[in-house]
Amino acid sequence: MGKTVTIVRNVMEANERRAAKLKEYFDQEKILCLNLMSSPGAGKTSLLERTLADLKGEFKMAVIEGDLQTDNDARRVAATGAQAVQVNTEGGCHLDGSMIEDAVAELDMQGLDILFIENVGNLVCPAEFNLGEDHKVSILSVAEGDDKPEKYPLMFHLSSVMLLNKTDLLPYVDFSLESASAHARKLNKDIEIFPVAARKGDGLDAWYDWLRKTRAAKK
Amino acid sequence: MHELSLIESMLSIIREEREKHCMKRILRVRVVNGALSGAVSDALSFGWECLTQEGDLQGVALDIVDAPLKVVCGSCGKPFTPEDAHYMPCPACGEILGHEIESGRELYIDEIEADIDDAESAAAAAPHTGD
Repeated sequence: MGKTVTIVRNVMEANERRAAKLKEYFDQEKILCLNLMSSPGAGKTSLLERTLADLKGEFKMAVIEGDLQTDNDARRVAATGAQAVQVNTEGGCHLDGSMIEDAVAELDMQGLDILFIENVGNLVCPAEFNLGEDHKVSILSVAEGDDKPEKYPLMFHLSSVMLLNKTDLLPYVDFSLESASAHARKLNKDIEIFPVAARKGDGLDAWYDWLRKTRAAKK
Repeated sequence: MHELSLIESMLSIIREEREKHCMKRILRVRVVNGALSGAVSDALSFGWECLTQEGDLQGVALDIVDAPLKVVCGSCGKPFTPEDAHYMPCPACGEILGHEIESGRELYIDEIEADIDDAESAAAAAPHTGD
């Protein structure tokens, strides 16, 4: 029979420490950092392409692209003229603080207004790992079904914003904006919800206004 | 889905604590896993089994205590423990929206049971006498 020693240490503490350091750095440099999360194919990259192109004249923006493999997304984003750095997780299901530290070292952070982190497409794991961001933003496309906030509560609970993307497909799919919004508000009554069709440009003004307001608050 | 990397983090915390408390042999580790931590207890057990098959922590038992989700009603403020994380009507007022999570997100190492080298541990704890 051994002795019992009380420990009480958070298993995520190493990542939490890194995230806190990153947050401190982003605060000091007055960079708004947003962590974009969704399932694969919900439209994170299309939303970014559009946002980067439309707000090019207003903000200096950069993107950290997380994917299991390939640099396709970084190339798409870089085509808008924004700085982009690709992080390949080599099969890993999420980005963590150390990957963001490495990516930040590769970027020119001077005078940056907004840093977008496009997380690995996955509704589960990315929510567990803080990256020093100011806000988590989740994107749900209408083709995925309106029960997703109910099935994956943590991601929507932690997000400041939920974009409901591909609203141009609403006539063809069984998706209720009201029901998706109600599910998301169950655990997060303050979540901002913006229905958009990123490729067509519909509804993006509300998202841009949120970005402007949130960016201004960071100064 | 990332339970293996969580186990790796646990193992490095356990090794640090082993040093700190002069543990000769670790017998058992107790972990508390909240209902909304995102980590699945069965997957943690499996990951633990895989990563402690050999090496310095071979054969150490892992106890996982599942901690329930506790919330505070977003409308009337009553604290309660919902049966289901997806549908949480307040038992007092029936509100289903806007509850604050009080606990259930946690994942931490609670305690370690081990044989401890008492002489070494006492020496480590004793104040330096200084010459």
